[in-house]
Amino acid sequence: MKKLFYYTAFCLAVIAGNSCSKIDNYPAPSDTINGSTIDEGTGATVQTEIGGGGTRVKLLETSYSANPTPEYFQSMQDGTFNDDKIFAATYKVSVEGPFVPLVTTDNTGTVTADSSQTIKLTSKATLNFKVQPFLRVEWVGKPVFNADSTVTVQVKITRGTSNPNYQLDITDINLYVSNTQYDGNNNYDPRYSKLVSYSGSTGTALLGQTITITTMGGAMPAQDVYFRVGARINAGLDEYNYNAPMSAKYP
Amino acid sequence: MKKYNYILLTLFVCLTACRKLDIPPKNIIQDPDVFSTPAGIQAYMARLYSELPMEDFRYSPQRGLNFFWIISPTPATTGEALSRDQTGSMQENLGGWNNDLWSGSYTTIRDCDYFIQTLPAYASNFSTAQVNAWLGEAYFVRGMTYFALVKRIGGVPIVNKTLNYTVGTSTDELKIPRSSEQAVWDQVASDFDFAIANLPAANTDQADGSRANKYVAAAFESRAMLYAGTIAKYNTTTLFDGQKNQLCGIPASAANGYFLKAYTAAKMLDGVYSLYLKSWSATDKTAQYQNFVNLFSDASSSESIFVREYQYPNSVHGYDAYNVPRQLIGPNGYSSEVNPTLDFVEMFDGIPKNSNGTIQNLDASGHYALFTNTMDLFANAEPRLRATVILPGDAFKGENIEIRRGIYTGPSAGGISPLLPAGSRSQYPLTNLVVSATSTQTAYTLPGGTLMNPAGLSGIFTGDQTCAISGFSVRKWLNPNLATSQVLENNETQTWIEMRYAEVLLNRAEAAFELNSAGQSGATNYTQDAFTIINEIRSRAGATLLTSAGAMTIDTVRIERRKELAFENKTYWDLKRWRTFSKEQNGTIYRILMPFYSAQAGKYFFDARTDERNDVYTYDPRWYYEQIPQGAISKSPNLVQNPGY
Repeated sequence: MKKLFYYTAFCLAVIAGNSCSKIDNYPAPSDTINGSTIDEGTGATVQTEIGGGGTRVKLLETSYSANPTPEYFQSMQDGTFNDDKIFAATYKVSVEGPFVPLVTTDNTGTVTADSSQTIKLTSKATLNFKVQPFLRVEWVGKPVFNADSTVTVQVKITRGTSNPNYQLDITDINLYVSNTQYDGNNNYDPRYSKLVSYSGSTGTALLGQTITITTMGGAMPAQDVYFRVGARINAGLDEYNYNAPMSAKYP
Repeated sequence: MKKYNYILLTLFVCLTACRKLDIPPKNIIQDPDVFSTPAGIQAYMARLYSELPMEDFRYSPQRGLNFFWIISPTPATTGEALSRDQTGSMQENLGGWNNDLWSGSYTTIRDCDYFIQTLPAYASNFSTAQVNAWLGEAYFVRGMTYFALVKRIGGVPIVNKTLNYTVGTSTDELKIPRSSEQAVWDQVASDFDFAIANLPAANTDQADGSRANKYVAAAFESRAMLYAGTIAKYNTTTLFDGQKNQLCGIPASAANGYFLKAYTAAKMLDGVYSLYLKSWSATDKTAQYQNFVNLFSDASSSESIFVREYQYPNSVHGYDAYNVPRQLIGPNGYSSEVNPTLDFVEMFDGIPKNSNGTIQNLDASGHYALFTNTMDLFANAEPRLRATVILPGDAFKGENIEIRRGIYTGPSAGGISPLLPAGSRSQYPLTNLVVSATSTQTAYTLPGGTLMNPAGLSGIFTGDQTCAISGFSVRKWLNPNLATSQVLENNETQTWIEMRYAEVLLNRAEAAFELNSAGQSGATNYTQDAFTIINEIRSRAGATLLTSAGAMTIDTVRIERRKELAFENKTYWDLKRWRTFSKEQNGTIYRILMPFYSAQAGKYFFDARTDERNDVYTYDPRWYYEQIPQGAISKSPNLVQNPGY
């Protein structure tokens, strides 16, 4: 009996000692794609929002399949992107966001334009996409605290594209207030942010003008806050174009 | 010799004994068992109908179809109501559903396909009429299932024959790509058309409205085709696959064809069903109210077209347990999950309103108007509103439902000014205000010496939200005869009316209005038809009638629909197909109406404001097309994902 026990123990020890000598793992993806989405007209990056609602980079791994399932990663708020966990392969890369799409189709599904970039990724690739944002939102001066501790900002909105398909009416111009710089349609303080929807061409009539917006809800709390203005047209996924968030020190 | 006999015997046994080993297993139900008798067919039908995707008492966008726990109720995603468990807009949480919509729907479609393929071989057991009717039902269920898929996802694979996989062979032919959205809507129409052609006027197996007949199929065809028409007209999201199939969106040119189909299908029910008017009286608002209440519980209603019945303990729901007002709370401890918003209530007639349509709670001098009872503000309210919403102070189950935000102890001489500036989203200032954090209250001594609890029995409690957080509680569907001890989860059995004639009329009116505005004309005057229908609905509701057909807009038709079908899980789909969800819920904070008692005046006043929780509703336009479950794409990479996911 005892002998049997020792035999069994010996066998188990041999098995345990030998079984895991080969770790059957591939190296983790370690290549990098970075770059930015750049406004063709101004050379500045196109501001967007974080979370699922803003600019994202689309990867089609064409070396794997002629018709691959797309992979996406999200751009940062300032319009730059960086993903350092990508496998080395051949990719067709494009960006999607609040600008004229890089891949356009007509109303029958025929691809009419495709400015995707195809890269053979080995270690690192930097890609800059020149795009035409639907709208450009620019600060005019800085946010100003009023006597009643509300804040007034001024912006100017212009079109970023002359593409006739995207000369649509402006539907929303919103002043977002947040206590972080990650300020946008998906993250704002509803007590103070001023959201205005426009119907017909009333919003469009403000193009090129200096637009003055004041926070709502009375006096702002005594803390540093960030302001940002977003505007959109009813195109694509109705995403917003923004200006860069700007903070204002409580007086 | 004997030896030979043994050999012969052995040979004989071997050659004869095993002749019949290849027999069907006795412990598995075979096609002949199911398809040879009406009872077998009924068992098959029971499965098909139980799988039928309907947004009934057991549905919520959060947890899906046929799930018991309804604490993020559908109306709290549409602006009809606020709920403590729903704090913003949402798309259907398809990936988190208990019943997977994708594989569940294709299981149902396969069940239908199998039935359609198999029944004809056994047709000799039955009369032709029976066979046709049952085939009609299978097509009806399949049409409903495609409808449930296409309204969520757009184009989906069309699988109209059972797929059989042989182990070891390629799975490529099982990976069926998505068809165009238009093709799927046409599939829905053709399935319903087959059902209409083959089903009898009354279902001979069950004529209580729980199984389909010709008119049930026609009613759902009107709903589906109206859906397709509005998508063609209002949708702006498009998606094509590599073969140029339009997976999302329908060419706008197809809109009128669908509207016409919706109109024609709705018209088939003319004279077969009618609006429920059993206890209605043209002159008595109380009778009109009671009539609208009874409509949802009268099993013999001439308005119910298609219903889902429940039976304890096999198939139950918990509508009352989740939704009774706080003071009638059941033993499970749930209550008041659906609290209608002021935005919703303001759609109705018979309440004093400002010129911009908001409720008039202030007098001419800008002070609060004062009332002896909270119901005085709603003295002339449209009966349908009372039958849909429990207004503060209204009677239910023999009690007055007491809804009060707090007691105002400040001066009342010369009028009480609003507690907050107009439009403010701040909390109420607590000077001069006595409130209660929970239902355990400390009574306040009024100037006369009487005691009064700061909050009503059904709220509003500032510390917990198990109360009428909007100032209203839902009335529709609640069973007034259910004893409080029986107000339990998984205990309610009132019938869900999935399709009633009022909806068919409203489908018809909307289709007619859309046809007319597209410059179409038919045998009937479309505008006049829509006008007559809206007034029929309004008359039954006790609402103010339209004066002229010319004054109607598409919003007249839509708002009527939202009032009539509120809390029936229909508005969610209407806002979706009109593509107005993202317009209505665009940084929106819904409004509420808070009743206060002024201790000094001895009267009530109302404050209209935005949701005190500051819950923001923003509907993302990409949600108009739901995300195809990632698991389905992994299994079948030919499926193209919808835009934005």
